[in-house]
Amino acid sequence: MPAATLDPYRKRDSVAGHGEFPLEVKQRLIGMVMEDPRFPEYLYGCYECGICVAACPSARFYDFSPRRIAQAASRRDVELMFQQMQEDIWECSQCFSCLRCPRGNNPGGIITVMREVAVKEGLHSAREALAGYSRIIYKIMSTGTQVSPDMLQPDAFPDWGPEVKDVSENLDLWRRMLPPETLHTTTTGWKVADRTLVELYVIWLETGALDMIAQVDRGIHMILEELMEERLEEEGIEV
Amino acid sequence: MSETAVSVILSKKKQFDREPDRRSADFHDKLFQLEAEGELVVQRISGDYVEVPTKYGIAKKIQKANLWHHKSCGQCGHIPGYSTSIFWIMRKLGYGYHDPEDQTSCTAWNYYASATSNQAAQAAVALRNFAAAYETGYFPLIHCGTSYGHYKEVRSELLHDGALREQVRKVLAKLGKEMVIPEEIVHYSEWLYAVREEIRSRMVYDFSNIAVTVHPACHYYKLVEGDAIFDPDVYHGQRTAAVSGLVQSMGADLRSYSTFFDCCGFGFRHILVQRDFTRSFSTLRKIEVMKAEADPDVVLTHDTGCVTALDKSQFAARAHERNVGIPVLSEAQFAALAMGAHPFKVCQLHWHSTNYRPLLEKMGIDWREAWKEFEVDAKRLERGEQEFLTWADVDA
Amino acid sequence: MDERVVVIGGGPAGLSAAIAAGQLGAPVTVVEKLGYLGGRPIEEHYASLTPHLADAEEVMGGMVHDLEACADVEILLESEVVGVSEGDAPFTVSIRTPRGVVERTSPSVIVATGFQHFDPGRETQLYGYYEFPDVVALQDLEAMLKEGSVVRPSNGEAPKRICFVQCVGSRDRQIGNEYCSKVCCGVASKEATEVRMALPDSEVFIFYIDMRMYGYWESQIYWPAQEKHHVQYVKGIITEVLPKDGKLLVRGEDTTMGRPMEIPMDLVVLSVGMEPSPGTRRMAQMLGIEQNKYGFVEAKNPPLDTVSTSRDGVFAVGTALGPADLEDCASSGGLAAARAVARLGTRVGG
Repeated sequence: MPAATLDPYRKRDSVAGHGEFPLEVKQRLIGMVMEDPRFPEYLYGCYECGICVAACPSARFYDFSPRRIAQAASRRDVELMFQQMQEDIWECSQCFSCLRCPRGNNPGGIITVMREVAVKEGLHSAREALAGYSRIIYKIMSTGTQVSPDMLQPDAFPDWGPEVKDVSENLDLWRRMLPPETLHTTTTGWKVADRTLVELYVIWLETGALDMIAQVDRGIHMILEELMEERLEEEGIEV
Repeated sequence: MSETAVSVILSKKKQFDREPDRRSADFHDKLFQLEAEGELVVQRISGDYVEVPTKYGIAKKIQKANLWHHKSCGQCGHIPGYSTSIFWIMRKLGYGYHDPEDQTSCTAWNYYASATSNQAAQAAVALRNFAAAYETGYFPLIHCGTSYGHYKEVRSELLHDGALREQVRKVLAKLGKEMVIPEEIVHYSEWLYAVREEIRSRMVYDFSNIAVTVHPACHYYKLVEGDAIFDPDVYHGQRTAAVSGLVQSMGADLRSYSTFFDCCGFGFRHILVQRDFTRSFSTLRKIEVMKAEADPDVVLTHDTGCVTALDKSQFAARAHERNVGIPVLSEAQFAALAMGAHPFKVCQLHWHSTNYRPLLEKMGIDWREAWKEFEVDAKRLERGEQEFLTWADVDA
Repeated sequence: MDERVVVIGGGPAGLSAAIAAGQLGAPVTVVEKLGYLGGRPIEEHYASLTPHLADAEEVMGGMVHDLEACADVEILLESEVVGVSEGDAPFTVSIRTPRGVVERTSPSVIVATGFQHFDPGRETQLYGYYEFPDVVALQDLEAMLKEGSVVRPSNGEAPKRICFVQCVGSRDRQIGNEYCSKVCCGVASKEATEVRMALPDSEVFIFYIDMRMYGYWESQIYWPAQEKHHVQYVKGIITEVLPKDGKLLVRGEDTTMGRPMEIPMDLVVLSVGMEPSPGTRRMAQMLGIEQNKYGFVEAKNPPLDTVSTSRDGVFAVGTALGPADLEDCASSGGLAAARAVARLGTRVGG
């Protein structure tokens, strides 16, 4: 068991609400973050000037600080970075206001890389943060558009006002009343050619993007894999 | 008046003249170098173009006609009047375009939200779209701020990472596509800025009494800020001139507020699965501040997520008796309205949540009459007399 | 042939060099583009000099007096060097003066063309220098201090809360100025002290990344500012200045306390750093001497030879070499003078 830390900010794994991980696992995961080709461009050094925090929306809402992300990474503090990977990284709103860093750091970018590793490795935090998100992943990976008109359901967006209900009730008609010919769709944002979807599937399969979601949602992964392989087989494309 | 320290200070501050800027390492150098080495194809600007000023002083070329519309999934899906207005303005100004079906989303919304993708996949998605545009001869125009910012990041990664280029090239080869990067990555709001005088000359309403606040979109000008538009004539070149420059040209009453820099609260994953954050940030840091400091008739912005977050967050806040209630539009819809676009058939305002009717009244647009016209068309479609509404119907 | 030491620039470093050369008995020509000597401190109306708060006009006036007292000094005002001969020294230096172009022969040219204040319009943070009248720069406040009237330019009222924002245009990879400008911490603290003395009811804040007042500046400026004048130092840089209710709201993070801060101010002073002056860039190019990526003249043999450049017989001094305080300027000026006169001496004596 790792020794209790003297750092008041750092919590023990059990306190942080996730299971105990051996140090080697943490080192391996943080190693993946640091070896990412983008990492050297995302982190130079940190002055602790606080510019990133002042510009950060999430810092105003959560106990979140892009400066702590940059600092932990600068210090190569495996324990602290691992803790952040279990918690903080999902609070970032990815607006990239922190890019104003005078050192040229990109805390939001560091977080992107940390999230990718968390997803790839199926960390508890990733699964928790993405609970309820599977439908979106399915949509984007299978249809090539993220937001579809038929997502506008009053029960999904009860806080968005009564217009959501109007839209969902009139969806088919109102979509047909859009003058651009590509927008008469209800299940995708616009009409995406079939061949284009096949090309997208090739990208997901060739780059390992599909594999990434196996850890987060095995069910969705299986459905997608089946769908994609079947379509590629029909097209006679091998990957 | 004799010269005092204060008068000297004030006169010095009148005009910011940008000196050539060292940081402006121009990505074009590397782009054209790789083109010359045969590593990639650069889709060049062609035909009539406008040069616009950018953050670090390098002029950016905006092609005026023959554009390939890289649509936004959030706009097309949930704010269809946004995309439709962009098309409508382009038609009105007489510029030809191509609205492709072989375009996918940039998938960056998902990427920023969930990280269930990776660098190579994101780059391949971007370049597949660029190649598709190149094949048609039309030049890509990116509707979404996130796609625009993300593609600029991808461009920078590809230009500086040979291994990534190799990996993506292999994937593209499988698709039978070339590796193409356009000479400029252009956001539709840059195109609107470039043609703002043409828009002004075709306005059919006087908007000088319409008070406007602008929310500049983070992914437009914070991601790879170097080639975002900054114009010395708009906020002294200290804020991006996209949207504000158009509003200024249109003669509307542009008003500032103290949290203009703050993000809208969209948060990518937050808007979908943690909306308490989005609602709080959107209303407390943006809408309420605008209301208190500028009391605008409308908020204009130029990205998908910002329209959604700012518009949809106000309903719940109103239930809590917060000081909200400002309609939210894209500047494309605003410009289209000024040019006489139909508020429902073109701008599709019935997809918006915050009450826009007082705004239309102030603009001099009879929304009751317009809604009747919309319903007449709807009935015609319901009766099966016509399957779709066409451009001919809305231009009538 | 009459060989002279040619000093380009009549600011603190150029004057130091010219006086030292003159006092060593060398014939000296000082070329100054303005109609007066004294450089930035006079041109920008500095009230006092750091760290001793000596009156800028008096100090610079004293230097001009010392220069004029030298035996063979030629001061060319409103003049510019427009050409220098190719090849080895001695150089033929062409100087455009109000009375036409003159030529001087010199085995040693001293470049003392100085710096300019960073233009806050190019800042990456949102300080709104060109948007808000009550956002000023260090030299703007100097000019007000000199007039004895520190006011909000927007309404002429005395400010109650004033803050300094450090490192504007310095230590910033995005702007391309990765260096520290050396003097801004000291100058800001000096000005903060002067404001507190002029407006005893005011509150003065300095927002900083780290305070860089090395050597005696610590006890000469920093400690008195904090201990005697109660200037408030907050570790954390302001990222935005925004108008709110007739005041300026400054936003940043108080990094010591670890929380975002938003504080209303009446006057915001940007501690702008140093960049090479247009004259420095132009002269370096004309003389064909190496410049670093920032445009300052590159010293050939640092750290112990700070004034030789890539061209034999051409020396650079003061802020033409990079950010420097007045002590640095005087030191490099003196060293360059010695080197320059030695070359002259050899030729004259030989």
